[in-house]
Amino acid sequence: MNKYTLSKRQAVNELSTFYSFIAGFLIALIIGSIILLAQDKNPIDTFSLMFRLSIGSVNSLSSSLNKATPLILAGLGIAIINTVKLWNIGAEGQIFMGAIGVNFLYINLSLSNSTIFIILLLLSAFLGGAFCILIPALVKVLFGVNEIITTLLTNYIVIGLTIYLVNGPWKDPDSLNFPAAAYVGKEVYLPNIFGKLSYGFLICILFTALAHYLKNKSVFGYEMRIAGGSEMTAVYAGINAKQKAFLAMLIGGGFAGLAGGVELLSQTHRVSTGISQGFGYTAIIIAAITGMRPIGIFLVGTLFGALSIGGSVIQTIGVSTYIADIIQASTLFGALIIQFFFNYKLLKVDDD
Amino acid sequence: MNNKILETKNITKSFGTLKALDNVSFNLFEGKIHGLLGENGAGKSSLMNVLSGLYQPEKGSIYIKKQKYKISNPDHASRLGIGMVHQEFRLIESFSIKDNLTLSRSNIHKDDFMTAFKKYSEIFALNLSENETVSNLSVGEKQKVEIMKIIFNNSNIMLLDEPTAVLTPQETIQLKNSLETLATEDTKTIVLITHKLKEIREFTEIVSVMKNGKMVSQDLLTQKVSDNELINLMMGNVKKSQINKDNTIGDVKLDVINVSFKDPVNNIKKLSNVDLQIKSGEILGLAGVSGNGQVELANIISGIERTFEGKIIINDNDISNKGVKSRKKLNLSYIPENRLGVGLAPGVSVIDNSIVRDYFQTKLGPHLSKNRSAKYLENLINQFSIKAPNPKAEISTLSGGNMQKLLMGRELVGNPDVIIAAQPTRGLDVNAVEGIHNLLIDQRNRGSAIFLISEDLDELFKLCHRLLVIYEGKVIKSFTTTDSNISSVGLAMAGINE
Repeated sequence: MNKYTLSKRQAVNELSTFYSFIAGFLIALIIGSIILLAQDKNPIDTFSLMFRLSIGSVNSLSSSLNKATPLILAGLGIAIINTVKLWNIGAEGQIFMGAIGVNFLYINLSLSNSTIFIILLLLSAFLGGAFCILIPALVKVLFGVNEIITTLLTNYIVIGLTIYLVNGPWKDPDSLNFPAAAYVGKEVYLPNIFGKLSYGFLICILFTALAHYLKNKSVFGYEMRIAGGSEMTAVYAGINAKQKAFLAMLIGGGFAGLAGGVELLSQTHRVSTGISQGFGYTAIIIAAITGMRPIGIFLVGTLFGALSIGGSVIQTIGVSTYIADIIQASTLFGALIIQFFFNYKLLKVDDD
Repeated sequence: MNNKILETKNITKSFGTLKALDNVSFNLFEGKIHGLLGENGAGKSSLMNVLSGLYQPEKGSIYIKKQKYKISNPDHASRLGIGMVHQEFRLIESFSIKDNLTLSRSNIHKDDFMTAFKKYSEIFALNLSENETVSNLSVGEKQKVEIMKIIFNNSNIMLLDEPTAVLTPQETIQLKNSLETLATEDTKTIVLITHKLKEIREFTEIVSVMKNGKMVSQDLLTQKVSDNELINLMMGNVKKSQINKDNTIGDVKLDVINVSFKDPVNNIKKLSNVDLQIKSGEILGLAGVSGNGQVELANIISGIERTFEGKIIINDNDISNKGVKSRKKLNLSYIPENRLGVGLAPGVSVIDNSIVRDYFQTKLGPHLSKNRSAKYLENLINQFSIKAPNPKAEISTLSGGNMQKLLMGRELVGNPDVIIAAQPTRGLDVNAVEGIHNLLIDQRNRGSAIFLISEDLDELFKLCHRLLVIYEGKVIKSFTTTDSNISSVGLAMAGINE
């Protein structure tokens, strides 16, 4: 009888993440097709409709890119934190906190110059996200408390805080009892570049470049990588590993907070529990699929944005919007499985 | 020697590119105490881990009483009568002795526990109640329970990994007597893994020697083989190149003045009043058994450990209160003992690891240009003939020798004034060792002051001008290598200060 064992490969193909993603996406399409066939829907028709309604026209493409913006920004926040080999499961909460940060500053400040006001509001969103991860970051570096647990738990706290605010102090009397804060004024709406495409997407491109630089080209990114590889090596090299981990967490939280701020100023225009529809969790999928690479996050995030838009419009032909969620999740599973075989190979164990 | 109870043929086990076991054949004879001798990293523990089912070999076969078996896990090994006592005990501290002994389903003394417990308590001279909680036991007592546990699990073949490392001399004699009784009265087959010749002599009848993953000699009768033969087998034929020690010695480069240090975690004193000076062109050795304060001293000199008393002066600059980076700027290099984990960051690329020393200097920064880093690494690869085909690959894809060359190269390329090298050749093969020694000699001739921390006395005698011996955090003796002999240094390392 032959037995097999797994052995780690010496050299992993540099494009392996890309190939894994493509393979994972194909696997996801097959899974999606099977589910559609089981519902007596033609998968090719459904997918081509999704394609047409998500990127087939300037308008639908704009919607897709607007949808992708918070996913990408939150994904970047996760990737930056992962440079020190820590996991941010709290992007969802940070998105809410970013939106809360915007509204907080908006009701406490008024400026006539709307450009400066918008920039300050976005800064407030960034700080809100950073504030949201402050306690997980502190207990991580001071006591070594597992950040996966703490960032996850802050999501519930922040969503609870949002529910309190929109039902209590920030409740909009004109909202007909719908739990939401009042709309912000039109003067602080993020304008559109053209058609429906918001300036939020431009911010997203800028921050992708910034994250790419920070992670891959800067001294700070290098120090984060060493600190993530081994705290002892960092100390040996004269790098304050705990400080890098702390800063990485705050910056990553800020990126996710910004996602909430952009979403509020460009799409929802008010704080409600609907600010994010699980963007922070989808962002984890995107960041994981791309191996935490900012440019990959931008591309996959764009695709996932289009999938969401495509998924939401196929309801008209009687297909559940959840088909998009299934494809997103199956892409991650497929990509992870394929990536595994890039990293490991099966070895036959000889009997003698 | 005809009662062969266990035989392995051509066992091969690799970890990445490293062959931990290379075609190893090994025999065990019923009722005998066997020695398995070899230096650290020779493959002794790997072989035992194969026999006890922890590792699955890629090649080779195992025969127990002439029948072929594939030992798939420790439980399987235990059912085949093979038990292993690891260096770290596998006991449940909060359980009683009895519960620990009877925990396994392979336990054969369910019904006659007390009879068996009394019998073996006598053999091991263990005067304890079976209800005593294990956490109250001394290390020696725990080891006895651990060995009894594998006997209770019906092991006829007992593999003991460096069992004397944790014992006092009296306990060692006691263990020897117990094992002899087990071999003669219970016909247990025992393997003692060790790198101490004295124990091979005292404990064993048959000895096999491993080196670099290979079985270099097997089934020698201990009584018929001399210490010198064993040493030669174990160490191989190291060519002793005589190194000229008449090079020019210059001014003092490193001055360590009255350094004392307490471990902040448990407040235990690790260093007491250490004084030393190293001059340009001089290699000062620090001999000592691991754990006598060497790591702490190296960390204090390199700036990693900042909570000490005393002074560190490099090139006339008092840097006692300065950190790692300012010491690097004064051209100090540190090659730490722990290569992968301290010197190099696991999971990080070769190129990132290659610039750990200099990344903050302007020649690489301020934006950490990829081109400059790549050129920096290329220079290291050429100058120190490192085999690192893919700069973006993880550091752990390099062999141990190449990792050490990269680490040494990185620390030496800037021609440092002061070098601290801790165990720089540990675990490397003869050629790699020779290469590392030549690098250090080159730096010495160039005028570097070198502090060489090592357990390897041959290495220290070969390279150093002077030797200090550290014992329990104190420098207890100083030697000049040209007019001292190895044995007096060895005695000092054991704390014997004549």
